[in-house]
Amino acid sequence: MNETQQMLEDTVNRLFGDRLGWDQLTAIEEQGFPTALWAETVEQGIPKVLADEAAGGMGVGWSDAYPVLRACGRHAVPLPVVEATIAEWLARQAGATLPAGVPGLLPRAIAASAVSATTLTLSNARTPWGRNADFLVGVAAKGEGAELIIAATSGLAVAAEDNIGRDPRDSLSGDASVITRQALPLAPDCVHWLGALARSAQIAGAGAAALDLALKYGAERSQFGKPLSGFQAIQHYLADLAGVVASVDAIAMAACVGLDQRGMAPSGRNARFEIAAAKCRASEAVEKLTRLSHQVHGAIGFTYEYGLHFLTRRLWAWRAEFGGAGEWGEYLGRVAADVGGDGIWPLITA
Amino acid sequence: MTSVADKLRFEPTALPASLETLRAEVRAFLKEALADVPVVKRSHSWEAYDAEFSAKLGAKGWLGMTLPKQYGGHGRSALERYVVVEESLVAGAPTAFHWVADRQSGPLVVRYGTEEQKKAIVPAITAGKACFAIGMSEPNSGSDLASLRTRAERTATGWKVNGTKIWTSNAHRANYMIALFRTDPDPNKKHAGLSQFLIDLSKTRGITPRTIQNLAGGRNFNEVAFVDAELPPDALLGTEGQGWRQVTEELAFERSGPERYLSCFFLLRKLIDVVKDNASPATLARLGTQVAWAATLRTMSLSIAAKLNAGQDPLLEAAVVKDLGCQFEQALPGLAQELCELEPTLEGHGSEYQQVLGSLIQVAPSFSLRGGTPEILRGIIAKGMGVR
Repeated sequence: MNETQQMLEDTVNRLFGDRLGWDQLTAIEEQGFPTALWAETVEQGIPKVLADEAAGGMGVGWSDAYPVLRACGRHAVPLPVVEATIAEWLARQAGATLPAGVPGLLPRAIAASAVSATTLTLSNARTPWGRNADFLVGVAAKGEGAELIIAATSGLAVAAEDNIGRDPRDSLSGDASVITRQALPLAPDCVHWLGALARSAQIAGAGAAALDLALKYGAERSQFGKPLSGFQAIQHYLADLAGVVASVDAIAMAACVGLDQRGMAPSGRNARFEIAAAKCRASEAVEKLTRLSHQVHGAIGFTYEYGLHFLTRRLWAWRAEFGGAGEWGEYLGRVAADVGGDGIWPLITA
Repeated sequence: MTSVADKLRFEPTALPASLETLRAEVRAFLKEALADVPVVKRSHSWEAYDAEFSAKLGAKGWLGMTLPKQYGGHGRSALERYVVVEESLVAGAPTAFHWVADRQSGPLVVRYGTEEQKKAIVPAITAGKACFAIGMSEPNSGSDLASLRTRAERTATGWKVNGTKIWTSNAHRANYMIALFRTDPDPNKKHAGLSQFLIDLSKTRGITPRTIQNLAGGRNFNEVAFVDAELPPDALLGTEGQGWRQVTEELAFERSGPERYLSCFFLLRKLIDVVKDNASPATLARLGTQVAWAATLRTMSLSIAAKLNAGQDPLLEAAVVKDLGCQFEQALPGLAQELCELEPTLEGHGSEYQQVLGSLIQVAPSFSLRGGTPEILRGIIAKGMGVR
């Protein structure tokens, strides 16, 4: 890691390490949005690492932001930090500035017909932290290109729902007042891709934290007169788990580097290949990450009191969000079919 | 507040542009050199033995690339060698003649050999004219390598060796063998009683290889009997009693390369061609999942190469990639059969794809045996995480 990455990772680990123990995570699930923690996160500039320096951000690239996204997974952060990070980057690409407050990021491309000069019309638009959002950020198709839409949330109907990680995934409907429309040099589906990348990083982080818990528990818990991790079967679960964590981390990092270097225009050799590979690998990995970390823990890991579930319930939720292994596998399978057997290696090494 | 995952970071590596020039040269050379080789032969790649091809590769300057110039090597970087190796594997080049020499014997001799040994060996490896065998396993010592019993005793004229090695690839046609023998029979010195030897097979009597046919009909590996085999005093490689440490380093070379996920890659290429025109979304999804794995392993493997290039010792990372790479490779024949109902066939029957499948389905069990089993690798990984 370079200095920026190390500094960002340390900052985020320090803040969330202090504020998001199991008791605090439990309290947040009972009481809802942790307003004070969000304020602290904003104060430390964490959601703005990808924002332009003129807009109070750090103006770094995705590879430097990666440790932040990963740490959001590691600490099971119940805040829209990665969604805000994506929104800030989109604003920077469009030369726009986001209002203050909690952003509601619209994951799906918005049809051109849903946007007028003054109004964004939503119909059951599933939005992370929609109920807490002070404004909406989305990307709409416009002619051949795309535009960034920033809209107000007042007057929208909110159908509240949590994902199995107990994070808000609300459906918003109604007419939202447009605050800003700004041409965006990206494809209309870009939020889906960026979300897939962010979830891959979060899966890497939560997987690493689940491994850490399994290692700790394996060393502490004794059965048959010795620590669990003295048994070869358990050692092999832990080693297998470590390899899977490392594989997700590696391809998610590579996708961030790819995005910084090649962008994600819809054609040509761009970072879409690595992003699709990252989310496909990450979603597929969730099965092993959750199964093996729970298996090492035995019944204690199945209780609410022991906090492994803060990680594993999110892993199960993130596996499907922004496309699962099937969707991204199909994309990559189509890419492979297009280039053919002789073209696949040149593509991987390009 | 650290995470154990911090020990297992595979930082993405960008290859310098000059290496892409090298890659293009290697690709063009291999395309021409292999144009007439049947596809099923190419799928055998690093089991295929072709001294003439190895000499051609040597003439291009693509063997012994990382060995020092002063001994006849090319003094190039580990990343340059990495590019040549991965391109050779993916193209299905017959690499068995030079593989061991280029990968581990050369670096080992450079690190531990005497001036005379280096001067004798390095130029031959670089020219693609030296085939090496590895004398490690014995009939009663497989994963428990340090239990080996083949004995090298000091004599008035050098060393006398008695015992048996097994699974020794190419011993029946190699020029040299680097072998691990017991030089001190003291039972309290299980590891400390071992030493490595560099053996010129053309000049040594008392060494008899017997070829063992593998289940696919291939004849690469051997049981090798040493009966009063006499070695000169200067056959000792490195320091007497340091063989275990040296062999552990040698195994790191053996475990860290791209062959640990690329030996079945030819099947993936052929499978794509067989299914691409009529693939259902479900088939594409399964195929694409495998492509995602391949891209991930390439990232990890290249990251290890960069660590080696920087002089680090990525023992733990190499064990992880070999373990994952093996899972990837061994899943390929099953995936192929799931996606395409064509039977595997023997050489000379059925389509090219069927022959490649038939060949690789039979050799796939060896992927989790050679160079360390998953049981051993996972033990190394667990130890690396402080578990034992």
